[in-house]
Amino acid sequence: MAVERLGKTLGKNQVLRGISFQAQHGEIFGLLGPNGAGKTTTLRIICTLLSPDSGTVEVVGFDTRTAPEEVRRRIGVVTADIGVYPRLSARENIAYFAQLSEVPDRELRRRVDAVIERLDMGSFADQRAESLSSGQRQKVAIARAIIHDPQVLMFDEPTSNLDVLASREVREFMVESKGRGKCVIFSTHVMHDAERLCDRITILHEGRVVASGPTAEVRGNRRELEDAFLELVGVA
Amino acid sequence: MGAAWIVYRKEMIEILRDRRTLIAIGLAALVTPIVLGVISQVATKTATQAYTIGYAGEIPTGLDILLRATNLKLVPAADPAAAAKQQVDIGVVFKSGEVDVYFDPSRQSAQIAETRLQTVLGQYDAAQAAAALRSKGIDPGILTPLQLVGHPLSSPVQAASNAFLSFFLPYILITMILTGGFSAAIDSTAGERERKTLESLLLTPAPRSRVLIGKIAAVTSISLIAAVAAIGSMFLALSQIALPGPPGSNHISLSPVAVPVMVWVALLIAVGFSSVTVALGTLAKSFRQGQAYVTPLYFITIFPASIILFIPDFNPNLAYYLIPILNAVLVLRDAIVHNAVEWPNLVVTTISLFATGALSWFAALRLFTREGLLTRS
Repeated sequence: MAVERLGKTLGKNQVLRGISFQAQHGEIFGLLGPNGAGKTTTLRIICTLLSPDSGTVEVVGFDTRTAPEEVRRRIGVVTADIGVYPRLSARENIAYFAQLSEVPDRELRRRVDAVIERLDMGSFADQRAESLSSGQRQKVAIARAIIHDPQVLMFDEPTSNLDVLASREVREFMVESKGRGKCVIFSTHVMHDAERLCDRITILHEGRVVASGPTAEVRGNRRELEDAFLELVGVA
Repeated sequence: MGAAWIVYRKEMIEILRDRRTLIAIGLAALVTPIVLGVISQVATKTATQAYTIGYAGEIPTGLDILLRATNLKLVPAADPAAAAKQQVDIGVVFKSGEVDVYFDPSRQSAQIAETRLQTVLGQYDAAQAAAALRSKGIDPGILTPLQLVGHPLSSPVQAASNAFLSFFLPYILITMILTGGFSAAIDSTAGERERKTLESLLLTPAPRSRVLIGKIAAVTSISLIAAVAAIGSMFLALSQIALPGPPGSNHISLSPVAVPVMVWVALLIAVGFSSVTVALGTLAKSFRQGQAYVTPLYFITIFPASIILFIPDFNPNLAYYLIPILNAVLVLRDAIVHNAVEWPNLVVTTISLFATGALSWFAALRLFTREGLLTRS
């Protein structure tokens, strides 16, 4: 994935001011920054929900402006907003997104069963989503994001509404995806998570990149990544 | 499988599992027969109810028999004018060669009693005049030199039935199509945004136009189901209500021509309404806001249906058939009352409703594809 000189204004607010970074297969790439830094807007542009005012984004060789549907076929997105269809079961929720993501009918059942087993959802797969816990809903959200086996997985603050146990499962899933050769983009403001999981990071502040590189390199000789982050955004 | 069909199927499953929509359809099927039953009861009661006349003076010979035969009950009153304000329905003072009638026009019972009294007095006068002429050896026929002989070209019962249907059926059809799809339209748009599933849906490769078609088709289906439930129950209720007339033809029934016209018009209205309500729902951030946007639509659309009630003989030129909803009401009325299709009117109506639906669909698509759909939430 290659993001080049991305600019975006929403209303009167210039959210992105020419940010650039690249992420590779088989790594967890951290997109860090305080609230309002532009992380979510960047992810929304990458996944074609928003158009950039300037700059380009290329995902697995496809430009988001000229081939948005090809890009969407190759990405899966998990956000903090774990909205699911309450009157559908977990299995029906997953199958719906599988069909919209063009999973062939002959493979549908096998794929849905496989993802339910992989995420250990068997005990609640046939319950209506309205009766599921937050952690279970987050698993449904992850399942629908990976059901079409995308090459790029984006996680936007995926653990912010979850308890300790569910958060750990999400983190383990990101590591597992990296092991499967996926390009994992992890947007967060939790420095501890970023330091543990990310191979490389980019720190955004007020729509600009203030640091970018391998996690250890950005941290430098400071005790924790959080110290480096606070220094870079001008709080320390 | 096409994206529109996938979305349609999922929306239908969700709608049919939604208690709000099922209750709306159930109520639609239940309310119509209840309303008709109440109307029938009230009409029967009004026609057979006895009214009271407070009278003073000497009742002309034989008039009391006529009055009792028409359910007008005579009670003596010291002051008929004062009694007519509250104690009795009308007050009458019989004088020599004169009858003074006192009644309050603001009371419906007084109006009905006064009309009955006028009819009875007319018959009494005619009978007295005829008896006087006969006693003098004169043919009473000279009082009516021109005999009026009516030849109704259609059954009066059927005409009354058609008049009733021409108002009630379009009203039920439009109301039920709108209210039947109301909840589903908002739930599939504003509800999707409120539940935070919209972003995930838009992240799939499915083109937004197909997603929208699926949603509009689902809302259209549920609107038509509600309309069919309401109209079906209406005819079921009407089959139980007998009108005066020979057995076999004393029930309200729909003319064969009106049925296909009604189906065609219902389909056009349902598609148009679904597109408009989906567009309005897309504008809203929450279910509650969606309700606030869509509710005024009910009053806007029900107004044209009411025109038929207030102006029963409203016969407009072709240009009026360009006005959506009013045209549907008029075309249905024509088919029901005249048992015939005015093709130019139907063609103009079709074009008008189709254009309205298409414009609403484009508006919904524009709203559904703009960035503000996500950034406003």
